[in-house]
Amino acid sequence: MDFVILSLVMLAIGIYGLLTNRQLLKVFISVELIATAATLNFVMLAVDQGLGQAMLILAFATDTAVSGVILALLVIVSKRYGTSDIGKIAKLMQSNEDDEVESS
Amino acid sequence: MIPFIIEILSVGLLVSAVLALFLDEVVYSVAALAGTFLFTALIYGLTGSLFAAIFQFAVSIGTLAVLFLSGEMLGDKPLKKASPTKIAALFGSGIALSLPAIFLSVSGASGANSNIDFGTALWDLRGLDVLFQAIVILTIALGIAIVLFEKKRKGAQ
Repeated sequence: MDFVILSLVMLAIGIYGLLTNRQLLKVFISVELIATAATLNFVMLAVDQGLGQAMLILAFATDTAVSGVILALLVIVSKRYGTSDIGKIAKLMQSNEDDEVESS
Repeated sequence: MIPFIIEILSVGLLVSAVLALFLDEVVYSVAALAGTFLFTALIYGLTGSLFAAIFQFAVSIGTLAVLFLSGEMLGDKPLKKASPTKIAALFGSGIALSLPAIFLSVSGASGANSNIDFGTALWDLRGLDVLFQAIVILTIALGIAIVLFEKKRKGAQ
């Protein structure tokens, strides 16, 4: 069992999901998978060593902070544009900008 | 026995990761993500990293609670349910993706060999870090609360 390959495969799945999914929540899930892959690699390279696990807390803290910021942005964008589809949000943003240019 | 269980857990980890990304309904995706976190925590626990397993479990419960709520609030409902064929294909691809990790090996010897126990590492070497992390997380939580409050106030005006 090789945990480096396991975390690499998980990283690849997360990046693929990040690039192909159109829903904001799925993008967030992809980010979580990438973070899990990173922490898995981190812990498995330092099994039975307290230092590795202590350093892992830093990874969890940043992961939690990133999750909070992403979720707050996600709620704001979804409430403002009424959808969680990235393509539709981009179109609505473009049309809003066009309206502002025309009105000025 | 334990290596065999870890291999099964890693297959489950990748299958649930694939399901989390490619299931259409967001709530099912979040449920699959819960499986991913659970399998990760179990792998940590079985390989001897007990503290990492506990942290993973605690952090994932918070993340999943928020994700379930936001998934119900913000997720678009799919027009049709996922077919059993698609779910079987996702299972198969997850199992296929886990095969390289089981049968191949690229790891060399780890350079880190400190033999410091967890308590010493956490409080003697990284005590200030831990305190600063708590401050950073509290600041971020406060910032998010302010952003959401301002948004609500502007919406009410």
